[in-house]
Amino acid sequence: MNKIRETMLGLMLAFSTSAFAEEAGSFKESVASFSSFVDGFFSDYTGWFVSLIFKSVPVGEANFPLIVGWLLFAAFIFTLYFGFVQFRQAGLAINIVKGKYTDPNAKEDGEVSHFQALTTALSGTVGLGNIAGVGAALAIGGPGATFWMILCGLLGMASKFCECTLGVKYRTVLPSGAVSGGPMYYLSQGLKEKGLGGLGKILAVGFALMCILAALGAGNMFQANQAHAMLSYAFNVPSEFGVITGVVLAALVFSVIVGGMPSIASVTEKIVPWMAALYIGMALIVIIANIGQVGAAFSAIFEGAFTGAGVAGGFIGALIQGLKRATFSNEAGVGSAAIAHSAVKTKEPITEGLVSLLEPFVDTVVICTMTALVITIAGLNVGPYDGSGLTGVTLTAASFTATAGIFKYLLALAVVLFAFSTMISWSYYGLKSWTYLFGESKGSELAFKILFCIFVVIGATIQFSAVIDFSDAALFAMSIFNIIGLYFLMPVVKKELHSFIARVKSGEIKAYKK
Amino acid sequence: MNENDSCIVNLERTILKNGPEFLSHKLVIKGDLAYLKPTISAMSFCMIYIVVGVFLFGLAVSLLRMPDRYDLAVFLGGFGIAIGTFGIALIQPFLRRSRFDKTTNCFDNHKDHNVTLEHIVSLQINNKVIQSKHGLSYGCFELNLLTQHGRRINILNHGDEQQLLHDAELLGIFLDVEVKDYRREIIL
Repeated sequence: MNKIRETMLGLMLAFSTSAFAEEAGSFKESVASFSSFVDGFFSDYTGWFVSLIFKSVPVGEANFPLIVGWLLFAAFIFTLYFGFVQFRQAGLAINIVKGKYTDPNAKEDGEVSHFQALTTALSGTVGLGNIAGVGAALAIGGPGATFWMILCGLLGMASKFCECTLGVKYRTVLPSGAVSGGPMYYLSQGLKEKGLGGLGKILAVGFALMCILAALGAGNMFQANQAHAMLSYAFNVPSEFGVITGVVLAALVFSVIVGGMPSIASVTEKIVPWMAALYIGMALIVIIANIGQVGAAFSAIFEGAFTGAGVAGGFIGALIQGLKRATFSNEAGVGSAAIAHSAVKTKEPITEGLVSLLEPFVDTVVICTMTALVITIAGLNVGPYDGSGLTGVTLTAASFTATAGIFKYLLALAVVLFAFSTMISWSYYGLKSWTYLFGESKGSELAFKILFCIFVVIGATIQFSAVIDFSDAALFAMSIFNIIGLYFLMPVVKKELHSFIARVKSGEIKAYKK
Repeated sequence: MNENDSCIVNLERTILKNGPEFLSHKLVIKGDLAYLKPTISAMSFCMIYIVVGVFLFGLAVSLLRMPDRYDLAVFLGGFGIAIGTFGIALIQPFLRRSRFDKTTNCFDNHKDHNVTLEHIVSLQINNKVIQSKHGLSYGCFELNLLTQHGRRINILNHGDEQQLLHDAELLGIFLDVEVKDYRREIIL
């Protein structure tokens, strides 16, 4: 007991004495130097990659990144090819979620209820993309970026439908009994069935590589960084103390992904839906409290979308930011959702595709719009929109706090938990890709898991710009490989859809609830 | 219930829904006593939460000396208490050792009613696949006991198949009961 008391006293002393204050200066310098080194490293060695992925062509006054066009074009093609599935089959998707086509007496062991499936899906859609991403989009793209985010969300529903159906259809059971699915598998196996095995293999390997990088960047460093940025904003914690945030988050992530402790993961799964509800509740309070300004906010969104006033590059600039951040938030076309959805227990791949198409709607069309309304109503985001003022999570937090001071604390709680759950999800996507490339082995898996935890600390510690660009680039690069495969495999999805609808209409698939 | 009524127990069903991927316990036999000893790795993972919780709580206490930091102190303290409490709750089952004691002639797992050793009719091995949307799915195994009254009680529940088979064999010899293998192919 004495030893524990001594340790605690030492710790308290370390954080409160003037000696510590003197040390803080050199600590700050060390962290700044480390940040600069890491940022420089990424800038020197990955700058070419970022430039390649975000290769732009001049459109009007703006430079339009081809990758944004690539995603938008694909979503448009899928929408047309599947006959506006996101609108015409939305009712069917809602009925599947409600359990209309599930025999209530044939529940299998371990099968989750549809309510659980819905809350899991909804909680998975709310994250830092809705909070920090919208803040970043509006800081650079102005209120008009919201309109393009909504459009991207609506079209992205078709992309998600396509990839999640394929994720389940081509999933495989590994020798360990683990179910593995996602673009790696549908690209290699699906294209092999079409006599394009070589191309499929190349696309699958390319996707897996990019997924690992995105897992370490967007799914890890970005999350840890924004979690600490939120703590800095809410509690005025110096940025150099990000290392403490990083170590605490890394320890908890370590216990889940290395320890395989199902408990904390299940606790997180239970808490996150409440955090999502809390976030939506706060947004609704702000909107209702300022109901008189909602009309003006929508006017600013629609006007900004087509005039691009105050935005570098005009309306094209607003469009670029809206599309980029919407993709970052709902991940439609990126392929990551197909990995998560492939673990579901279902005999009908199309049902998972239909359920998944609701996610971009909830995520982008509903929740991102709510965040954008909160930011626009608060009026803290004013032109010119060059990102030099409040941006990202701090813009969103300041906008919430303008209505009620307590919101910044509640938002800090939500952001930390969202960041943690997103890191767990992305560690899973990264590990799936890692095992696809390097095979299932304890040593290889442990190497990735430890690397992942190290990146949590780095992400929370460093102040970066090159790293965030790299995170973005890796995430968007996943879509290059994924979407090429989706073009080849979309007839497979269409066949599944028509078959399912025909069986529902004929009564072969029985409806249990009215 | 009428004496002639029969109660059907599905022995292929697992008792617990979840389970850890790693080896959580090993069987130790010493004379007339057999008990389940938690592994160091299992204890370590629980300790992570306690250490993180105590660390955050310590930080919160130190911040109480600064009046302008009360909000951060409450935030960190709250997180610290939540994480630390979770760790303590997690580690407690590991500290309460399940034991088969021939001197007292009973099995005690500190959870269910004690079972007289003569009432144990067999041991069973079951398998399951733990699936999660945000984690790798993995195989997990249960060692359960069946009493003559039809009660089934879980003894071991972890992902190390070889160790579980080994422990089941040892326990079967110790209790002088048959070990039945109900592992099956699971089609997902």
